[in-house]
Amino acid sequence: MLTAVVIQSGGTVRVELLAGGGESGEEELISPSKCLFEPETEEARTAEKISPEECGPGPSPIMPEMKELAWGAGAFVVFALLMRFFLFPRLKRGMDARYNSIREGHENADAARSSARSEVAQYEAAVASAKADAAKVVDAARATLESERQAKIAEANSRINAKREAALRDAEAARGAVRGQIESAVTDVVTSAVEAATGKRPDASAVSRAVADTMSAGVR
Amino acid sequence: MIALEFPPINEILRWKDLFPGFNKIAIIAVAAALIATIIFLLAGNKDPKQAPKGVRNFAESIVEFIENGIIMQTMGRDGLGWTPFLMSIFTFIYLCNVPGIIPFLQMPATARMALPMFLSLLVWIVFIGTGFKHQGLGYLKSSLFPPGVPKALYILVTPIEFISTFLVRPFSLTVRLFANMLAGHILLVTFALLSEALFQAEGNPGLIPVGVLPLFMLIFLTAFEVLVAFLQAYIFTILTAVYIGGAAHPEH
Repeated sequence: MLTAVVIQSGGTVRVELLAGGGESGEEELISPSKCLFEPETEEARTAEKISPEECGPGPSPIMPEMKELAWGAGAFVVFALLMRFFLFPRLKRGMDARYNSIREGHENADAARSSARSEVAQYEAAVASAKADAAKVVDAARATLESERQAKIAEANSRINAKREAALRDAEAARGAVRGQIESAVTDVVTSAVEAATGKRPDASAVSRAVADTMSAGVR
Repeated sequence: MIALEFPPINEILRWKDLFPGFNKIAIIAVAAALIATIIFLLAGNKDPKQAPKGVRNFAESIVEFIENGIIMQTMGRDGLGWTPFLMSIFTFIYLCNVPGIIPFLQMPATARMALPMFLSLLVWIVFIGTGFKHQGLGYLKSSLFPPGVPKALYILVTPIEFISTFLVRPFSLTVRLFANMLAGHILLVTFALLSEALFQAEGNPGLIPVGVLPLFMLIFLTAFEVLVAFLQAYIFTILTAVYIGGAAHPEH
């Protein structure tokens, strides 16, 4: 048995390994059955109490023990066989099924995404086509409206022109009538004035002509 | 001065049988296989169509780790058939390593020679069998006479290849796992004993605060052993995959 002796002197601690029992003094005696390994001598094996030093040293610590080999090998072989034929296939089947379902989900999502993209493209094309149609309809409506407006304007203008001409005719007629009345009145006044001044009634046709000439010159 | 008694190595590695032929290592090995079986059984019972959570998520993470992190990196798609075998190895080794830091168990089953040796021999048989299955006797030729080497060098290369491929591989697999786990176990025992001895130093109360240092080291090493438990399981599994992949497809 090795004994490590730890010595503290001043601030340092020193460890020394000593062979033998060290300074522990008297060793306790034990029953041979308490030994980890059976004592080597028959005397020690049959004694009632022995020193722990008399217990057997046991086999080499690096030699494999048959019981450990047997139990370890048996436990591993059983576990490996269970793993090979039962545990792993069961676990792996579940993993594969889930991975496949995830992969399918991804593929479905990709398909849905590309389908949605093509539908969006179709929708956008339809919108563009509808916009073009609408623009054509708007242009046609605008052209129709413009032609109708032009027609209406032309119609209104012709109506205005007709009304203006009628009004001009009416005005001319009214003016002619007024002029005749004025000429007659002026002729009367001139005839009366000449008669009053000369005491002789002038020729009515000559007065009338002179008044007409004068008024014509004045109108111009 | 305090005396710290290190128990003999057998005392920290061996236990009395619980009943004849069944000791703590056997318990751990059986429990590892049982726990792994229960985990995968429970995981398989969950509805696979639902998003995985809890134990199923854990089991599927292991599957994906083995498939994507080990097989696809070393063997390619053709190696996916080896997933159950590699998963068994990884899970079993990890669950045998972890008890090294679980209170009351505090012993990795792989810190004893039997389990690493059995697993390494199994891998050895499997990769040689795979080589012969895929290449027939050409496996020996491709293993012992690597292409592209000048013929004169085969005198040197062939014995080296024979020793490294057919003899050293199982030995190195065994020793790597066993020695790492054993060293970790001994380190934990050492620092635990040192902490205890310093905290209980009689007649020298000045040593008690010093006991905090190995205690912190013990905590750090315990956390480190979690990493080592995973790492050793991973290394063993990836080397197994490399050996099997190399035997099945020598061109890789």
